[in-house]
Amino acid sequence: MPLPAQPPALQVSGYGLDYETPSGRFAALRDIDLSIARSEVLGLVGESGSGKTSLAFAILRDLGANARETGGSIRLAGEELTAKSTRELEAIRGRRIAMVFQDPGTSLNPTLPLGEQLAEVLRRHQGLSRRQAWREAEAALARVALKTPAEMMRRYPHEVSGGEKQRVAIATAFACQPDCILFDEPTTALDIITARQILELFERLQEETGVASLYISHDLALVSRIADRVAVIHRGRIVEEEPAAQVFSAPREDYTRQLIASVPRPDRRLVAPAPAAAAPLLEVEALTVRYGRDRLLDRLRGRASRQVEGNRAISLAVRPGEIFGIVGESGSGKSTLARALAGLNPFEGSFSFEGRRFARPAELDRAYRRAVQIVFQHPDSSLNPRQQIREILARPLRLYDAPGAASLAERVEALLAEVQLPADFARKYPHQLSGGEKQRVAIARAFASRPQLVICDEITSALDVSIQAQIVQLLLSLRERFGTTYLFITHDLNLIRQIAHRIAVMYRGDLVELVEVEALAAAGPRHAYTRALLEAVPTPVG
Amino acid sequence: MTEALARLLRSPQGALGSALLLALAVPVVAGPWLAPYDPEQFHFTARLLGPGPDFWLGTDQFGRDLLSRLLVGARSTVLMAVAATALGTGLGAVIGNVSAFAGGRLDEIVMRLLDAVMAIPGLLFALLIVTALGASELNALIAIGITFTPGMARIARSVALTVRKQDYVSAAIARGETQGYIVLREMLPNCVAPIIVEATIRVAFAVMLLATLSFLGLGAQPPSSEWGLMVAEARQFIFRNPWMIVWPGIAIAVVAVGFNLLGDGLRDALNPRT
Repeated sequence: MPLPAQPPALQVSGYGLDYETPSGRFAALRDIDLSIARSEVLGLVGESGSGKTSLAFAILRDLGANARETGGSIRLAGEELTAKSTRELEAIRGRRIAMVFQDPGTSLNPTLPLGEQLAEVLRRHQGLSRRQAWREAEAALARVALKTPAEMMRRYPHEVSGGEKQRVAIATAFACQPDCILFDEPTTALDIITARQILELFERLQEETGVASLYISHDLALVSRIADRVAVIHRGRIVEEEPAAQVFSAPREDYTRQLIASVPRPDRRLVAPAPAAAAPLLEVEALTVRYGRDRLLDRLRGRASRQVEGNRAISLAVRPGEIFGIVGESGSGKSTLARALAGLNPFEGSFSFEGRRFARPAELDRAYRRAVQIVFQHPDSSLNPRQQIREILARPLRLYDAPGAASLAERVEALLAEVQLPADFARKYPHQLSGGEKQRVAIARAFASRPQLVICDEITSALDVSIQAQIVQLLLSLRERFGTTYLFITHDLNLIRQIAHRIAVMYRGDLVELVEVEALAAAGPRHAYTRALLEAVPTPVG
Repeated sequence: MTEALARLLRSPQGALGSALLLALAVPVVAGPWLAPYDPEQFHFTARLLGPGPDFWLGTDQFGRDLLSRLLVGARSTVLMAVAATALGTGLGAVIGNVSAFAGGRLDEIVMRLLDAVMAIPGLLFALLIVTALGASELNALIAIGITFTPGMARIARSVALTVRKQDYVSAAIARGETQGYIVLREMLPNCVAPIIVEATIRVAFAVMLLATLSFLGLGAQPPSSEWGLMVAEARQFIFRNPWMIVWPGIAIAVVAVGFNLLGDGLRDALNPRT
């Protein structure tokens, strides 16, 4: 006689969810079927708006007032959750199902010490006394490899780093040995190396405790490494579910295939070899950027200046026609450099462009600004929401008075065509466009003056992978057409190894390594920090 | 824009405020034609009357028809208040935006100067300006506009500071745009929503300030039928005909309440998230 099968830790079947919006009902989730067995990791991959976070909150039974469920069931170890009352759910959340959020900066209470927040969970769900809970919490912090758990217990969230905060959040989730833990992009808000460490911690705890995990992420490469099975969600439906190893090697659905093709892979170079060495287009000499004002009062009292150095004596040369990559973690000073070159940051030292030397932002004249354009990270904030697209694009045309007999409207249309947008976009406002379309408009604006150098400051990091791939394609085709040089700033090492000719690695304001991509692939990195970065990046399997 | 209007009319305050102000627009636009009598015509046989069949709202000490005076006075009272507010709002918005854009020492100096001005009570400051400029309707308007400027500048600056950090402003600087273009075309349009809300609420204050100035004899001059002046002139006859004070008082209250409600409604309609 076969043993009665143990129910899966989490089972969702036929689940659907709508959101009530002013413009009618929006179907967020449709016919969701998934199940996670004990000690299994299910990866859930989808782009923004695909419904992956909605699903996590549906499982937690924490839905917004405008959410309408259209049926289906959610079972936790065989127990139906959709019919539970608020009071019953309160006993289940934290105790039998837990969640780790994307941003540890906002998921911890800033007014309570870390230990208090962790001990409270234990007191509430395990019925421990104050003292027992405190001791238990300290042990939990030790388990997530925090070095000084006793001290950590008394610290407030703002006194520890982002990675440490996420460790505390993970310790809290694991504290009551729940049946299932939901991870909603737990490493996305962290730096590459920290993210890697958090991921290792996750794998270790997962193995030790055998909890069932739902790991939600937009990063297919990352998920395929840590999950047993991967489910791909697209527009509220799960389009494919496969063992992790097969998603990359043998995807069945078109959408998955398209997604995989968009994931940047360093071994697939997208550009021709670097142009022959010529006189540098841009030469940066000992450029230093300091933040903060030198205060008169401090100077009079003989106090040390409170300025922070964003860049320390950066020197580099960009050759005409090349794609020059700058990588580094947040706070490494890569955007600071970009903003200084665009005339947005005061700087010390100097740089020359086409042989003309500039030592102060005030010396950057119209000819320089015409030749050097910048595209920003967030397309939402780089386009004025009160201006139509034609106004946004016509402005640089008028300002630089680029030659051409065509009327302004025709030239705006031509610019839109260059970035593969239809002509009727001219009459639209930015909020009517998607993120990718907005970024195309921002690129069109940069190319309006026919620049020689375009600074791309993390221009794809706010976008989904498939959109990122399209934007990169667009940049490469524009470069082929106009011979533009790019200064491409990113934290994505896979992407930059795909498109750049040379890479500068920055760390805490210093340029630590400058290397040809081909040499990097052949001989490996020289600097320890570059090596650590490369090791931390998940590369696609298969 | 139409979406914001629909939201405005859906909220109770917005709908009621809009209705009151629409009703008010009738005498402002057509007051002189609707008035049954000439507002300055004396009726010596019918002085200080209460409401009756000939004079619906009664008459004043010269036998002038109160209804006609109210209807004709609506235009100067309301338009003056709106103009004074517009003046203060415009000045304040520009000062706030310039200050936020410039930042650093200039910002510090401008804001401390405004703080100093704001330390003087509004009515007192307006009185000071009118006394310096001389008593007239136009000077009262200018005085109220200047009184409103520091408060508006503060609000505009706080909004402009967040706009200043947006990348489209950085993009404009990187493009080499002039400072005037950046302040007027990139920043100002993105600060209007909170400024409009504040301005609407301030119209009510302007009506009352104007009435007060007229009441003190520093605003509109007789024989004008500006509502504040009507109240001021009625003071001596308050026991013989209280209607002389009641009607303009109610009219002023309706304007104040109407603009206040509209301001509340607009605040919700223009910031749907809060």
